Amino acid sequence: MGWQFFFDPEVLRQMVFVATPLVLAAQGELLIQRSGILNVSIEGMMALGAVVGFLVAYVTGAKLFGLVAAALAAAILGLVLGYAAITLHAPQLTIGLALFILGTGLSSLLYRMVIGLRFLPPMIATFPAVEVPVLSELPIVGRWLFRVPAPSYVVIGVVAIMHLFLFHTTIGLRVRATGENPRCADSLGIPVTRLRYACLMIGGMLIGVAGALLPMMLTGTYSEGMVGGRGWISLMLVILGRWVPFGTLMGAWLFGYVDALQYRLGLTIQTVPPQFMLMLPYVFVVLVAIRAYRGAQAPQALLKPYDREARA
Amino acid sequence: MFPDPARDYQCPDQLRCELKFGGGSPITKQPLVRLVNVWKRFGSIQALAGASLDVYPGEIHVVLGENGAGKTSLMCVLAGLYRPDQGEVLVNGQQFAVRTPADALKLGVTMVHQHFELVDNLSVWENVVLGAEGGRFALTRRRCHQAVRQLASEHGVEVDIDARVRDLPVGLQQKVEILKMLYRRARILILDEPTTFLTPQEVDTLLVTLQRLAASGLAILLVTHKLRDALRVGDRLTVMRGGRVVASLPAAGGTEELLVQWMMGEPPAAATKLLETARPAPPAPDAPVLLEVEETSTVGTHNRLRLQGISFRLRAGEIVGVAGVAGSGQRELAELLVGLLPVAAGRIRLSGVDITKLPIRDRLDRGLVLVPEDRVRDGILPGMTLAETVVLGLHRHLFPNVWYDFARAMQLGRNAIEQHAVRAPHPLIPSTYLSGGNIQKLILARAVETCRIRAEPVVVALNPSRGLDVRAVQHVHQQLRSVVGRGGAVLLVSEDLDELIGLCHHIVVLHRGQTVAEFDGPGYDRYSIGEAMLGSAA
Repeated sequence: MGWQFFFDPEVLRQMVFVATPLVLAAQGELLIQRSGILNVSIEGMMALGAVVGFLVAYVTGAKLFGLVAAALAAAILGLVLGYAAITLHAPQLTIGLALFILGTGLSSLLYRMVIGLRFLPPMIATFPAVEVPVLSELPIVGRWLFRVPAPSYVVIGVVAIMHLFLFHTTIGLRVRATGENPRCADSLGIPVTRLRYACLMIGGMLIGVAGALLPMMLTGTYSEGMVGGRGWISLMLVILGRWVPFGTLMGAWLFGYVDALQYRLGLTIQTVPPQFMLMLPYVFVVLVAIRAYRGAQAPQALLKPYDREARA
Repeated sequence: MFPDPARDYQCPDQLRCELKFGGGSPITKQPLVRLVNVWKRFGSIQALAGASLDVYPGEIHVVLGENGAGKTSLMCVLAGLYRPDQGEVLVNGQQFAVRTPADALKLGVTMVHQHFELVDNLSVWENVVLGAEGGRFALTRRRCHQAVRQLASEHGVEVDIDARVRDLPVGLQQKVEILKMLYRRARILILDEPTTFLTPQEVDTLLVTLQRLAASGLAILLVTHKLRDALRVGDRLTVMRGGRVVASLPAAGGTEELLVQWMMGEPPAAATKLLETARPAPPAPDAPVLLEVEETSTVGTHNRLRLQGISFRLRAGEIVGVAGVAGSGQRELAELLVGLLPVAAGRIRLSGVDITKLPIRDRLDRGLVLVPEDRVRDGILPGMTLAETVVLGLHRHLFPNVWYDFARAMQLGRNAIEQHAVRAPHPLIPSTYLSGGNIQKLILARAVETCRIRAEPVVVALNPSRGLDVRAVQHVHQQLRSVVGRGGAVLLVSEDLDELIGLCHHIVVLHRGQTVAEFDGPGYDRYSIGEAMLGSAA
């Protein structure tokens, strides 16, 4: 078992593939947190996105409709969080946890209402892998980075756009300022409330789409609890990536890599129980997070509702 | 419930028109903005009760008043941060709706808050251009850079515009704030207590800058409670008290006595007495040393400054002040003494006993008393009763067994209300219901009671008078003096140099976590202390 084992193109391809929903959800959460709101309901939003995306795609037969519906469904959850956290100044953690439970429960309910109990679960076609002409023939990166399904490419594009948006546009600067010091932003005429709502809606949409990618990319079907902690992992990836888009991409790839590798290891090494292998990516992430959390700087206004007339 | 606003309003329009300003020339200018009869209420506090104010271009208008007089509230109304319950803003005689800060910005009204409103984690240039970046969508770094650099050099501000704001010293942060406002083409610049955290040298520079800006046509509103600054640069003075404007006059017409009377609302004798900060008699030369810190240092962390070579001693009957620019290690010093920060090297002795390695509890038992900086967060039990807050810290002494003696606690609570002038109906009222001044009185009552039961108490007080009105400050100083009067010692950490100069026998200066100089009173030289605070003294 040499170094080729660890850098096998198939493992790397798997890494990009597995990480795709995580990256997208983390980008959504990053945008929300940058505006000063901590959304802990990602898991619920993804579950809702998964079921709505699957059902709409199944009924209409078009995955695109599914994705749009998933985005809207999660954005509605975001709107609820926004109304509570921004307008009513409610505690964000409490509302977020409530929405997490709501989203998770609602997703099971929706599935049962539309599909009911069936012996064979309904299936949809998953996104096929797309080989980019020319680029997929490149040495070193061609064989893994350019042979993944279409959403994976799009998501990497989203990361780049998010980076450009946050650090190279005027609105991006205003979003960052809002998340750091809303009072300062407000006194400079920046519409803090509107910006926060907008970030929450757009971030929610990304998270919803990330949820819909689970049945559309990975399984082809919906099953209860299929989000399986990916929402929480995305929340952690934002911290791990230190609130920087490409940082979270790297974090997600790291997670995806360990995840892909453990399947490989499980096949190669028969003596270790598979449950242990399944645990590895999570343990790895915890270890990395402990290391990365030191000195990480969250947006300073995170969790703090803004009230212009509040007296300090 | 509230008195008629017209009654206390001593400066009606006719009178004001007869007043002169700007070295004797009659008023010919139109006011840029007029605030008329503004009312604002926060819960049970009437912050503004019919205040009015005219702002003229090209002059420095000082708004004077004690803490809680409504100065800041009035400015926040002008800046669009507070929406008044009643009253209007007039521009060119026409009503102008200032509902949001954006509306105020349209008028050219900008405000530099006391604690600044900067985004600490952004760079200087990002802070300056924020909200007025120019360009449609893209943030053009090069153009912003150039604009900010040009503005900075125009106004003689030397600052690395790529530096993060949080890494800048307070004085420079203030300059960045002012630059930010100038970048927005401010026509009215409000500065809320801008001199509080500055050294005397920095105050001089600031005031000169303001005069220059006023000469260029800006209207400057300088909010302060310091008469000295007001009389030095003000072209016009407005005095506020209890949410009202009690006087508005050209600076030439104001004498210190008159202003003090107006600010305090007391007859002359009582007013000057309130302003006094008499230093207690110096201790006997053979008074025992109660607290001795020798070449002590700590390990710094990412949010705790590293202390190095801290040395000073505190005799019985002595008040020693610790001066320093904000963030020079004052908080760390207090935490070091109480035992929250471990000592890396050096020695701390309390009444001759080495306490360097003793835990907090043992230090407190030996007579160390802390008056914390953030009185609500660190000083009281907000949800619990006044009586319970008073016994906190004394509980081990009062209740040596496991039982909580309710009657004893009540007795102490009543004592606090009666003897220490805490204004509360009864000892069972929740501590949060008290006002800031009363909370501080309560904490000092506790400290004084603790000092009574210890043989040689040492009180470490961090900015004990911050944000209090003049009577509460007077009470704080009186309590500190009573501690030293009874053979204790006080280490007074304050960002207000005037307070230290008025009250302390010695002043130790902290700079970047080091004790860099020590001055003996009375007869301090403000400027040499200021130099030491800035780190430029030998």
